[in-house]
Amino acid sequence: MSGPRLKLALEYDSASRGRHVRDIVQELKQLYGVRGALIVAPDGFVIAAELPGTVEVDSLAALAATLGRELETSATRMGRPSFSTALFSADDGTMFLAASRIGYLVVLAEAQVSVQAIRGALADAVALIEAAWAPGEATG
Amino acid sequence: MTILRRLWTPRDGREPLSVPDALRRAELRRREGRYAEAGALVARALEIDAGNLHAHLLAAYLHVARRAIAPAKEEFHWVLGHDATHARALLGLARIAFEERDARTCHDLLRRALRFYPEFPEASALLELVHAREAAPPAPAAPAAPRVERLRLPGTGRALIIGRADGGLIASQPVTDDAKDVSEAVARTLQVATAALRRAALGPLHRAIVEDRRDAVFTRTDGELIVSLALPRATDPTQGLLDVNRLWSATQHELGLAAGSPAAAPSSTPADTPGAAPTRRIS
Repeated sequence: MSGPRLKLALEYDSASRGRHVRDIVQELKQLYGVRGALIVAPDGFVIAAELPGTVEVDSLAALAATLGRELETSATRMGRPSFSTALFSADDGTMFLAASRIGYLVVLAEAQVSVQAIRGALADAVALIEAAWAPGEATG
Repeated sequence: MTILRRLWTPRDGREPLSVPDALRRAELRRREGRYAEAGALVARALEIDAGNLHAHLLAAYLHVARRAIAPAKEEFHWVLGHDATHARALLGLARIAFEERDARTCHDLLRRALRFYPEFPEASALLELVHAREAAPPAPAAPAAPRVERLRLPGTGRALIIGRADGGLIASQPVTDDAKDVSEAVARTLQVATAALRRAALGPLHRAIVEDRRDAVFTRTDGELIVSLALPRATDPTQGLLDVNRLWSATQHELGLAAGSPAAAPSSTPADTPGAAPTRRIS
């Protein structure tokens, strides 16, 4: 997900955005050390997901959306800027979360994954979404 | 006949569209994250059939997706006014209640949803989270002679919060009026993250990094104690984690929870701010 891919993304027309968003999730899933990825709307609706079969998608999506909203509403209450990325590290892996115009990008990764690599990929993915969804497109 | 005419010959020259077609297209747009377009299609459906329950539910979802909570609540209530057992509307309102810190309402709505539809994974997951919050470990007895005032921020540090998993504030630096609110917010976030990590089968939460355009907040927890350090966003993650680890050890040492390294251990980042205000114990 570097410069050339961004250029390609800008060529997408609105009708192919569904495929585009699935491509973004697949790109994230293919990164080294990544077990799965999804994009979930703030209402908990799963836009696209590539998760291991052992993970129940709807439950995780519901909690990931709740987590994203919690980070947003907490920031609003305290008069702070909203979060851009977050990571939560546990014994058996790390969950990354990034805020985008259309929802939250979630990556599940190995515990020893490169934090910088995943954060960079998430930043690229958010930039792709920002480029493909013009201001006002998602939020109206 | 009037309704049919409005269906097939819209006055503004728009493409004729039936309600099912409009809603099907709206669902597709929603699936692509095109919320504004989806909202316009739902509005068209409601122009034709103002009492369409599916359209009102979709409108509610789209309001939430666009972070417009008040109209979303109205739409969810409308749906429940016409179908009091609508599990999706109950879940939608429960999620909003959770955001609004109304745990009791959230709990009641989820219980109602699960009574009608016991196999409802999203509602179960959220109810599990609500129960986990209610079961947060009680505040431990205060150590006899806490010395957390000896803790010092690293040179680039902006704020330090030491709190408990139930949201209670133990100490902060600097001492500010909103430190208690920050401690509660950090604890809530970690509770939700813990539930999500459990669902992803990743195990118990130990560390977190939350970034906004100004700061990167590095947090360490063991499920009872929380140490949260705000550093500039540009801080290298390894460096930030080293700093929060140092403060974690020092906090445990001062609270008598473990034989951690001394609080006066050197900072991992450039020299401590000269004359920095000492951390004050709050409770």
